[in-house]
Amino acid sequence: MNDIGEFTLMVALVTSIYGTVAYVMAARGNRIDLYLSADKVPLITWGCVMISSIALWKAFFTNDFSLQYVYAYSNIELDYFYKFSSFWGGQKGSLLFWTLILTSYMIVVHFQNRSKNLIVVPYAMAVMLAITVFFLLLLNFSTNPFERIPLPPEDGRGLNPLLQNYWMVIHPPTLYLGYVGFTVPFAFAMAALISKNLDDAWIRLTRKWTVVSWFFLCMGNLFGASWAYVELGWGGYWAWDPVENAAFMPLIIATAYLHSVMIQEKKDMMKVWNMSLVLLTFVMTIFGTFITRSGLIQSVHTFDEATLGYYFLGLLFFIIVVCTALIISRLPLLKSKNELDSFLSREAGFLFNNLLLLGIAFATFWGTIFPIISEAVRGVKITVGPPFYNQVNVPIALALLALIGIGPIIAWRRATWSNLKKNFLKPMMFALVGAAVLFPIVPLSNRSEIYTYIAFVLCIFVLSSMLIEFYKGTMARYASSETVLGALGSLIWNNKRRYGGYTVHIGVVMIYAGIAGSSSYGIHTEKRLKIGETIEIRDYMLRYEKLAAIQATSVKTRIVAQLAVEKNGKRIWTARPEKEFYKGQNQPVSEVDVRSTLASDLYVILADFSEDESATIKVYHNPMVKWLWTGGWVIALGTMVSAWPDRLEQRRRLERLKLQKIVFSPSQE
Amino acid sequence: MVIRFKKFISVLFVALFVSLVSSSLVNAGAILSDLENQLMCKCDDKCGKVLINCTCSTADKNRKKFTKMLESGLTVDQIVQQQIEKYGETVLSAPTKNGFNLTAWVIPFGALMIGGVGLRRLLNGWVGKNKPDIELQSKEGEGTPESDSKNSSEISSTKYSRRLQDELDRLET
Repeated sequence: MNDIGEFTLMVALVTSIYGTVAYVMAARGNRIDLYLSADKVPLITWGCVMISSIALWKAFFTNDFSLQYVYAYSNIELDYFYKFSSFWGGQKGSLLFWTLILTSYMIVVHFQNRSKNLIVVPYAMAVMLAITVFFLLLLNFSTNPFERIPLPPEDGRGLNPLLQNYWMVIHPPTLYLGYVGFTVPFAFAMAALISKNLDDAWIRLTRKWTVVSWFFLCMGNLFGASWAYVELGWGGYWAWDPVENAAFMPLIIATAYLHSVMIQEKKDMMKVWNMSLVLLTFVMTIFGTFITRSGLIQSVHTFDEATLGYYFLGLLFFIIVVCTALIISRLPLLKSKNELDSFLSREAGFLFNNLLLLGIAFATFWGTIFPIISEAVRGVKITVGPPFYNQVNVPIALALLALIGIGPIIAWRRATWSNLKKNFLKPMMFALVGAAVLFPIVPLSNRSEIYTYIAFVLCIFVLSSMLIEFYKGTMARYASSETVLGALGSLIWNNKRRYGGYTVHIGVVMIYAGIAGSSSYGIHTEKRLKIGETIEIRDYMLRYEKLAAIQATSVKTRIVAQLAVEKNGKRIWTARPEKEFYKGQNQPVSEVDVRSTLASDLYVILADFSEDESATIKVYHNPMVKWLWTGGWVIALGTMVSAWPDRLEQRRRLERLKLQKIVFSPSQE
Repeated sequence: MVIRFKKFISVLFVALFVSLVSSSLVNAGAILSDLENQLMCKCDDKCGKVLINCTCSTADKNRKKFTKMLESGLTVDQIVQQQIEKYGETVLSAPTKNGFNLTAWVIPFGALMIGGVGLRRLLNGWVGKNKPDIELQSKEGEGTPESDSKNSSEISSTKYSRRLQDELDRLET
């Protein structure tokens, strides 16, 4: 099977090279025979990559340690669950996984657009195939997952214990689905540039791809944070590590694109800007891959055998040069009728939102590459960690939060005084009341707490503005509907994009609130305890009951501490934090135990223990962490509503276009 | 009314900015968490984590060492300085705010300000585009009664087009 896997990788490479060339020639020479021939390539390539992936999975499940990759990332004792996820645990497999997702997306695009959009689609397919060629070249000639060991060992080295967590099965695929998903809008943007077909067709064709990729990237980031929270045992979820930044930057730029593209759809403006944003988003996904696979920037996420930096740097350079050249050469065609009626308009709000989002993305990028710049200029390697990002990004993020509240309720074109009063008075009042109520309650002794206070007040402002929008819409329909819920349902169903977007904003506000609350008001304590002794934190008292050693497998031993958690003298929970020892690993892994409520998390760690059964217990009280994860699910709901097929929206858009053409064309001419 | 509202918004933003800047001067105090936040973990595994986020045995040892140092009367700055002498600048979790490192802090805000000014100028140009059209139309048509009637119908068509556009936009808002 390994030979078949290796062979199909080579076949995939050859066919995808042929497909790239054939699609381009078919589009340029208007040759239908070539087009029909090239049209078989996506399916063949996907089939080959799929066979190759199945071969690698089979090697993991059958403990085939003759493959160097399986030997390095698995062992006999490894649970099947993790054998499945070991596939993407190392560099070689993760590249194959990337290629599998890319070719799968390509198949979907292929079936979605078969015999449609024949000017743009062949070029888009060629771009996607060209990117596939790059990955297949690496897999065939640089990091072959089917590399053999001449004398196969009896057992493998095993998967890194930190990766033996259920999030390992969920987080990387989600993130990859997001990362790779942006290849589709990128390919269509490139195709539009190459074919000079620069109306908004490519935007309409890829809107759902952008939304879905954005969603996966967003959830990938949140799942990663969740994984760090439960696995790394330091009580936090985001450390501004370069690779975390690399996943964060495309998300932020894609968010800017998702907003500014609405201006192009509504007013046919900002074509160059939108084109640049979608290309930049893709460039950032490759930049993230470059960071993990180059070893140039120190990161906890870097693969052990990070040797592909120069290839990805070359790809980055090539994409940037080609994209810039294409945009410059098509500038006359991208010229749009840029005009605004007022500064006080939703369009202007979106532009400022773009400015702030790109400000955050730039600050993050700058911080990520500054160690390299410092080394080049001064010869001194420095570290840029969380204090930098928190100080630089938090003020910008707060201004952005204010705009999240302002943007959706300010009028398109020109906001009049009565419009402002009508839409802003109530949210402002809610915010002011919230500010007054919170002022005596929350501590304001340092910068972090003051930021948090501002964040809470802004959250109230945004949340109330969103909820008022839902309320107004529901009440307007309530007259013709039997129930309030029915009115709400029909409001959302008939305006999916708008109210889906508002729901996403509510989720974002919850995430803001969760980050603000947990980063400022968290406390922790640590104590060496003997059996029967207690440790206290806030209203909780934890009584140390026992310590047990469990031989889980022949390579894993678990040391579990048991603590009774009492509140107001009543036992409410039993905490079982543990340390896991893996054969051949220097450091044990902490498995924390968390009691999570919307108000706060009680986060218990077994920091240390000794033979006399005494143990060092570390307890964190982290307020509002659950708001983050709940916000993620609210975002998921909003995205689902927003991306749901909407015939009404299409009809409305067509009618609007028709009206605009009839009414405006003569006067504009 | 609108000008007053703009002034109010400007004052609000200035106040917000001043409060943020002044709040940054508040010192949280020399406590262990602050110290842990300022230093990177220097374990053999090169974990690349800030000390406060690291759970390895080296981090635990360092925490104990720093607690003792703080108890002995050393300040956070003194301990940080000792660490820099031992490991170099790379032990710090963020660039210092002097010399070349200052660019790390200044450039993001500088870029944002330049972007803001650029956007403002761009918007000025875009907002200005709409008004001259109407003025131009009225000037071009001056003179003859024929042109007057043609011009007035164009203006009214533009006026009604705008009104219709406004209505459509309001419908969507």
